[in-house]
Formats: sequence, structure tokens, C-alpha cells
Amino acid sequence: MKTFAWFCLALWIEDCVQAVDFETDVMPVLTKAGCNSGACHGAAAGRGGFHLSLLGANPNSDYDAIVHEFEGRRNNQAHPEKSLILAKPTGNLDHGGDVVLDETGPGAKVLMEWIRSGVPRGTSAKLTNLKVEPNRYVGTKFPTTVSLRAIAIFDHGVQTDVTDRTVFSSADPAAVEIEESEGNEESEGNIVARIKRPGQHVVLARFLNRVVPIQFIIPLSEKAVDLSSQPRGNWIDEEILQLLSELRIPISPPSSSNEWLRRVTLDLAGRLPEPATVERIVLQDSPDVRSGYVDELLASEAFNDYWTLKFSKLLRFHSLPNDNEGLNAYSEWLRGEIHDGQGLDRIARQLLTATGDSHFIGPANFGRMVSDARDQAELVGQLFMGTKLGCANCHNHPLDKWTQDDYHGLAAVFSKLERGREVRLTSRGAVTNLRTGEPAVPRIPGFLDLDGPGDHRVAFADWLLSKDNRYFARATVNRLWQAMFGRGLVEPTDDLRDTNPPTHPELLHKLADDFVNNGYNIRHTLKQIALSHTYARSGEIIPGNDSDDRFYSHAYGRPLLPEVLIDAISDVTGVTGNFNGHASGSRAITIIDPLEPVAALDILGRCSKAKGCDENGQTNGGLSSQLHLLNGDLLNQKLVDTNGRLNKLLDAGHSDETIVREYYIRAIGRNPTEPESKHWCQQIMDTDEIKRKEKLQDFVWSLLNSRSFLENH
Amino acid sequence: MNRPHRRCESLTRRDMLRMGSLAPLGLGLTDLFRLQAASPNSFRAKAKSCILLWLDGGPSHLETFDLKPDAPAEVRGPFKAISTNVGGIQLCELLANTAKVCDKLAILRSMTSPLGEHGLANHFLMTGYKPSPVIQYPQYGSVLAHVRSMPSVLPPFITIPENRSSVAGFLGDKYEPFATRGDPSKPDFSVRDLDFFPGVDETRILRRRTYLAEFDRAQASFEAREDRSDSAFEKAYRLVTSHEAKRAFHLSEEPAEVRARYGPRMFGQSCLLARRLIERGVPFVSVNNTGWDTHENLALQLRDGYSGAKVGVGLIPTFDQAFSALVTDLSERNLLVDTLVIVMGEFGRTPKLNSRGGRDHWPRVFSVVLAGGGVQGGQVIGSSDRVGESPDDNPITPNDLACTIYTLLGVDPNLELHTADGRPVRVNQGGKLIRGIVPS
Repeated sequence: MKTFAWFCLALWIEDCVQAVDFETDVMPVLTKAGCNSGACHGAAAGRGGFHLSLLGANPNSDYDAIVHEFEGRRNNQAHPEKSLILAKPTGNLDHGGDVVLDETGPGAKVLMEWIRSGVPRGTSAKLTNLKVEPNRYVGTKFPTTVSLRAIAIFDHGVQTDVTDRTVFSSADPAAVEIEESEGNEESEGNIVARIKRPGQHVVLARFLNRVVPIQFIIPLSEKAVDLSSQPRGNWIDEEILQLLSELRIPISPPSSSNEWLRRVTLDLAGRLPEPATVERIVLQDSPDVRSGYVDELLASEAFNDYWTLKFSKLLRFHSLPNDNEGLNAYSEWLRGEIHDGQGLDRIARQLLTATGDSHFIGPANFGRMVSDARDQAELVGQLFMGTKLGCANCHNHPLDKWTQDDYHGLAAVFSKLERGREVRLTSRGAVTNLRTGEPAVPRIPGFLDLDGPGDHRVAFADWLLSKDNRYFARATVNRLWQAMFGRGLVEPTDDLRDTNPPTHPELLHKLADDFVNNGYNIRHTLKQIALSHTYARSGEIIPGNDSDDRFYSHAYGRPLLPEVLIDAISDVTGVTGNFNGHASGSRAITIIDPLEPVAALDILGRCSKAKGCDENGQTNGGLSSQLHLLNGDLLNQKLVDTNGRLNKLLDAGHSDETIVREYYIRAIGRNPTEPESKHWCQQIMDTDEIKRKEKLQDFVWSLLNSRSFLENH
Repeated sequence: MNRPHRRCESLTRRDMLRMGSLAPLGLGLTDLFRLQAASPNSFRAKAKSCILLWLDGGPSHLETFDLKPDAPAEVRGPFKAISTNVGGIQLCELLANTAKVCDKLAILRSMTSPLGEHGLANHFLMTGYKPSPVIQYPQYGSVLAHVRSMPSVLPPFITIPENRSSVAGFLGDKYEPFATRGDPSKPDFSVRDLDFFPGVDETRILRRRTYLAEFDRAQASFEAREDRSDSAFEKAYRLVTSHEAKRAFHLSEEPAEVRARYGPRMFGQSCLLARRLIERGVPFVSVNNTGWDTHENLALQLRDGYSGAKVGVGLIPTFDQAFSALVTDLSERNLLVDTLVIVMGEFGRTPKLNSRGGRDHWPRVFSVVLAGGGVQGGQVIGSSDRVGESPDDNPITPNDLACTIYTLLGVDPNLELHTADGRPVRVNQGGKLIRGIVPS
């Protein structure tokens, strides 16, 4: 039987005049069996003396390792079945990695045939595309199974079904499991995804150097949810509502004017709306009024301060020893660019290419915030491409396409930079490529070696900011989205890769296009988001959407940034913060240097310099910050301040009712309801003036410790 | 299943499928686990609490618990091996005090992991799970805080001085550790904000609590959510109103000779503070010691502390004094029997010294030390090869270690925890109890 099969195979090969190809036939077998994974022979040091490139990134060296190394004993022409490459994985010879290949399966057959035909290097046809079927699956019930297929398209025009050589892996095996029945003489192998949970899931198909995500969508409820008649503010809502209706998640009603107003003011300007603003907007709320108000916020100085802070964290701003001038110049420049509404492409280009006296030329400090060229390459990858290149320092990235050549090549782009006060390019400076041990060739990751003369930083910037390049745009709009909703379409926001797909791929795509087509203008994108109905949803949950934390069926409460919280406490209590070395009345969001010691900011958990703060790790539940609000001076001192709001209101002889209303509108952006007002007046009323004052202090304290205040809803 | 486990990863999908295929025989996964649990290793958990001494950065196994005196110089490194109070076990010469309590230690010399990057390895060692893109697993302290009912008003999980990143994972903010902050070796050490603000007495704190509950109830009812009764505020409230609980942090109550025994530096006094907390019923205390990422100049960083030091005050001597004092003190107070002490970092260091006289990351083999909590002391489990490059015998994965730690702490490794959206996740998946860790 077996012989017959081999005979057929041989005939077929004869027919096609096509031998087994090393790259497109043999390597996928090794990848699929896990031979070249990071834990086995793909480790930087190999295993048991046998090294393969990680996930088959380097076919030439793999071919060498199998065919020539070890005196050629890994393949045996005389007795193919005794070849180590075959006998070890099938368990016929002792193998440290155990049996990983079925002796009678298709993988072993490919290896056998390849050895028999004389281990040809083959045609090395280039894979131009990998199509998976389905690439998006919207089901109606679970558990269910879906057959998967993968078709490879090569540059010589041949299309081949490569399902059995493709690695399908589920990001979450508890939700989707990949099952495979290996083929035999009678029937072909079959790969199915077994879907075990409702929701949105991802399976990744990997063949050679391509990774394609497959989305599975299974509704969370049996009842259809009709969202077709829901109003749309713009195209953002279209995308959001489509996925919600596929998942059958009902949406919460629109938020009140007050809720929207507080939310958008905090998100765009990092502060609470003034009582006068609340009255003005709420009384005449309409789409035009909202649009006008968003424009107002975008043009405000508060916006400039807040977004300078946000970008400074991404850029890892921090002071250098005995050198505050650099950081001052840097933040002044950044704030100026944001103030002037410069496109982010222009800002990026300056950061990437500036040189000169860093005490006067702000963006020249970009390279001074990192320790060396490799560190700079990682920052550039994280910031401008939304990717973590770090893994590729020592080995090719296991989950992404980045190679060591990419990593060290990008580092080499910045290797000639001198990072003293005077930032300049020198003729010296090289980065060693850890793979080759040679000086790395400057390189645009995944794209092109830059071996000519000149400033390679310019070439990199040209590529990054070219019309069709979406790395920077996608990374940026994803961060803007996160700023407005508390989570990115891709999480974490600095880990965009094919193997970590967005919740809403099409939306991310459109946001990025729209951003580029509008001059990389962050105000434009923020406005689109702010005016969508998605953004204006209430935080109230309704049956069927309470567990949703990523599809935007209702608003998600999120803690205020420590800087924003401290300023908000100052604003409500009427006592400005007092930060050493800053003019009185300074706001916490203008404290750009994370190394500047401000105890309250550290206790409330501001992000520190070392890692940058792309991760959405904001919490306000910590015991330390709770203790600080309870017993510390941050809030308590301001409540008893003789010039604070409470003492002024009392001195002016205001009633409890007026005072309660004043604090409600300042802290949570709305008037108290009739019962609320009555309740608090009863609680606070006291004939003893001292006791009344204490009760009012306790009232304000409690309001400022409530979730309504500490979170943006 | 009885075959020695030698694959690259501890348990692959294929294993799971293979085990799954036993189902037709009426043998499910849980049965298999039960069979394992019913092996001679089954025992009654003794550990009530746990002190984790986390040596951040990855301590060199070759300079601490797994010396290779017969290896070539570039492997052997700068320090000598000395004997201990257990025949046949040798430690680094800088661990002279630890050598005297070796009879209380189980030294695991065949730890192995594929992850050599700090963040990833940290997660693996602290949770027993490799990092996943979809689930943030909780660390030991958070799991224990979640599982144990709270016997005291002190937080169930305390870190000294603090953690740099979130550790509670999917269990959520509620199980994040309480950070003491500050340096317990400083005379003015105190935990911030434990005492009332001037002018605010207990009556007023109580009133604030009542008012706050009303605000939060209103917000919850607006969102149509259930009010979270045990809020962060409630915990803070209970702590600040308990004078007894707050005394745990007053190191000045300790006699001078006890304080001296632990050594004058931050790590030693942190270990002493950990003992005071354990004594008062805190289930999990983690002492974080940084600086073990020794890519250069081992002698300076590990032994001297600063250049020209006459008496070494580097990482190892400091650790040696503190750790040996902790083990001795716990033992004298009869606390060691129900306190598990864990000493570990995220990986070991390269067998060969690099050109800067340091060692780089090396997860393929490294050492972890356990003491107390029912652990059989005075033994070495597993071994590395001649040059400390790979496990030679009885490889132990962080997954196995997690299974063992949970078992010792009386937490069923098969216990299911639940993520926010209700997905069940086992405390430990597929780890095996380390053979010989408890007396048979």
C-alpha cells in the first residue's frame, strides 16, 4: 500500500516535472512540527547541536544545516529512512524533543521524498500571498466547527492548497481549538476550528513568512439585535454598530448632555468643565453646539498642555543629570508644535532627523532620552511603528516578522549620532549585528538596506512618512482611540502586529487613512471620534451588554490620570497645587519631568520614565492612593485652607443648598437632583457652625472620593 | 506518562490531545491529575503563609547555589565553593551564613525555562504561566489573597517596598498588593498615611465613610450595576482605624539585637518586616530586591558593593545575612513550619563570563531555593550539567514550581479561578509536584 502511494507520488512528480522544493515544501513541515520554534532548534543556540532559524526565517542557513553540517549525516541518500532529519522527529531514533512527526503522515512523506530526490534546494519560488478560507467567519451558534483552508500563491503564478502545511494556532484555546485529522491514502487531512465560546476570536494561519489572522464571530445572545435604524454620527459608528449587531450586543442609550460634556472635556483638555460651560452647553445641546464646543476645546491652551504631557510620556521625556535646559527646550518645542497644529508627520520628521545644540533645538533631545542606538531603535519602533522590536535584538521576533537584521539595521541608522549636549552625526559609530558579528547594515525594518552614504535617518523618515506607509498612522490613531475610550482597537497599543489583530480591523484602517488624508492632524481625528455616537454612549448598562469591555456598546469608566486628578481636586476645592520650583498656581499636568519628585503624583501612580507608558495600566483602586486621599494632605489640606472655596462660600453666607449644588456641578458636571439636594441639606444642617463646617468638609471629601468624581464616565 | 519528561516545553498541545484521547477509556484529565495527586506525594499542606524573596534581574546560579569549582575559569567565575552544615552540599563562599542553615533549605538546581527576557520570564516565574496575549495571569500573592479568607485587617498581600507593574492580572485591582514604600532600614521609616489627618477624628472618618457609600450607591444604581461593597476605601478604612494592625509596621518595637541580626541594610530590614507581617497573619509578603541583572563586573556587584570595599556589602553578602537571619528567626519562633520561604529571580546567568566580567541572561538552567512550609530541608533537587548550562537531571519548569508552591500553600492546583468575563482558568495548568520536595 505504502509503496503504491510512493509510486503515485513519484508519478505525479514526474508529471508536473516538479521536484519537492526545500523552501515551500520541506520547511513548512519543520515549522508545523515545531522543529524551528524558539523552545527547540529555533533557539538562538539551537538544541542538541542542531540549529534552525527561528520559524524558518533564514532558508539558506537551514538548508545548510540539514544538508551539509554534521558531515551530511542529517540526510542519508543511501538509506533515506535513516536520515536524522526523518528518523529523529518520527521517534525511530532517540530524540530529546520526543516524537513530533507521524511516520506515516504527509509531513514525513514530504521529507522522505525530498531526501530520495537528492535533497534539492529547489526553485525557491517566492510566496506572494496567502489566502485563507474563511478569513472572517460570522456564525450564529456555538459550539460549532469551521473547516479551514489555506491557499498559497507564488510568484511564478502557481496556486497551491497548503492547508496541511500551514500552522493554524488559536490565540485562546479555551475559546477556539484547532483540530486536525491527518490525511491518509483514502482521504485528505482536514483542519477545523472548534468554537467553544461566543465572542470575537482569532486564529492565526502561518505559512512560510506569512501570517494571516482569521476572525471568528459568534453572537453572545440568541436574540437578534437590530441596530440598523440607530442614528450614525459618522463612519466610525457604522463600523462599531456592524460588529455589535453581528455579536448581538444591544447598545446603551445616549448619555446625557452633562455626561458627554464632562467626558469630552476630560478627554480632550484633561480638566473638568467650568459651571458656566456646563450651563451654556447643556441648555442648548445640539449637534452643532457639540461640534462648536469640541472646536473650542481643541483650540484651548488646556488641550496643548494636556497633549504635550501625553506625548511627552510616549517620548520618554525625563531630565538628564545637571541638564534641565535640554528638557525645557524639548517640552517648549513640543508644546509649540502642538499649539500650532503641526501635522504629526512634521513632528515625527523633526524628531527623527534633528541635530544641533539640544539646549536650543528641542527635537534634538529625542536621541538623548535613550541610552544608545539600540535603545533608540526600540523607541522608534514602539513610537512610530507601534511595534516591539526588542525581541529581535537576540533572535528574530517569534510573533512578528522582525529579524535580527531589521533590529540591528534600524539601530545602525542611529549609530553615528553623538548624544551629548551638541547632538550631531559623526563618521564613527557602528552597531554590531549579533547574528553575523559584523557591523550591522543600516536598514529600514522589513524593507530595504540603506548602504549608500548620507544621513540614513532621513531615508528612514522618508519611508516612514511616505504616502502609502501606514505604520505610523495606525499606531497613532490607535493611541488617540485609546485616549478617548480607555482602550485601543489594538491592545497593548505598542504591540501592533499581524499576530495581534485589532478588534475592528476595518475601522483602524479607515481611521489611519483619514488621519493621513487630513495631514496627520490629531485634532481632526480626535474630533471625528468625539462627535461619533459611539463616543456619546451612556455608561449605563442594559441587559445583554454588561460584560462587554471592547465593543463599545456602552461607555467604560476609567480612572483619571494622576496629573489630571490632582488638578481636578485643586479646581473643585479652589486651592491650587503647590509644587516645589513651580510658580504658584501651576498645574500638575505641566510637570513634564517624571524624575521631578512630587510625592502625590508617585503615590497616585504616575508612570515613570524607565519604560514609557504606553500600556493601559492605570488603576485607582490601590490601597496606597486610597490611604493618601483618606489621611494625606493632598485633599485634606485643601478642604481646610482658609482661602479655599468652602471657606469662601461660608464666609459669603451661602446656604447649604447652594454649596451642595456648587460642588456637584464642579465635581461631577451636573446639578444635584431634587432628592439629592434635599438629602444632603438634611445631613449637613447643624446649628453649631463648627460642626456644620466639618460636615460640609466631609461632604466634599466624600464627593471627591466617589467613583463619580475619580473616574471619567 | 511515566516516561521521563524531556521535551522542549513541559506540556504541549499534543500531550493534551494524547491525554484527551484516554477519555474513551473512561479516564478524563481530572482523573489523571487525581492519580498524580494520590501518588506518595500526597500530603497535608502545612504552609499558612509565604515570604517571597524576589531577586530581580536574575541572580547568577553559578555564584550562589550551583557552583562549578571544577569547571574552566571562564565558567567557574571569581568565587570559591564552601561546605555547608549538610554533607555533600556546597554553596558560594559569600553565603557563609546561609551555609549554616542549609539543613533547612531545599535547593532546586534544575530549574529551566525558555524565556530569557525580563518581563516575560518574570511573569512565568511569578505565575507559572507563560505570558499570553489574551489573559494576564495573577501572581502567587494575588491568588493567595483571592483564595484565603482574610484573617486580619492587614492587607493579604504586601510588597516591600513596591512592585513596578501590575501583578494581579485578571483577578483585578482588588488583589493588587499593598506597597509599603520607603526603606525600613531608615530610622524614620513609616508607612505613609496610616494616621489621621490633624482635625479629622474617628467620628468624622466614620461619617465620610457613610457619605461616600451614598455617592457610590447612586453611581452604581445609575449604571445599573451592583454596588461593590468591599471597596478600596473600606480596606483603607479598616486599616487606619485598627491601632493593633498598624503596629505591624513599627520596626522600632523590635529589640536592637534582632534588628542587627538581619543586617543594617534595606533588604535585611525588609525581611524583618516581612516576618512581623507574617506573624500577624498576612498570607503573602514579597520582598523585592533589585540589582541582580549583573551583565558586568560580578565581583564588584555581587561581593563588594562599591569599589575598594574592605568588607563586602554587595548583593550576596547582604542577601546572605538577611536570608539566614530570616530562616533562623522563623525557625526559633516556630514559624518556619507553616511559612514557606521562596528565593528566586526570573532566570540564571550565562555559563561563560562575558568580556565585561559579567554574565548575561540564561533561563535554560538556574536555581531556586525553598525553605519551611513543609519542605524537606537539607537537600538538593535536580542538577545542572558540568558547566551549569542545561539541566542534567530532573528538569523543573516554572510551571512545576508553581504547582509545587500552590500545593505547599494548600491551594489546589486544579482550582478554577474566573476571569472578569467568566472564563475558568486553573490555578495551575499541567505542572507537576516536584519529587522529593516534601518528606515521603
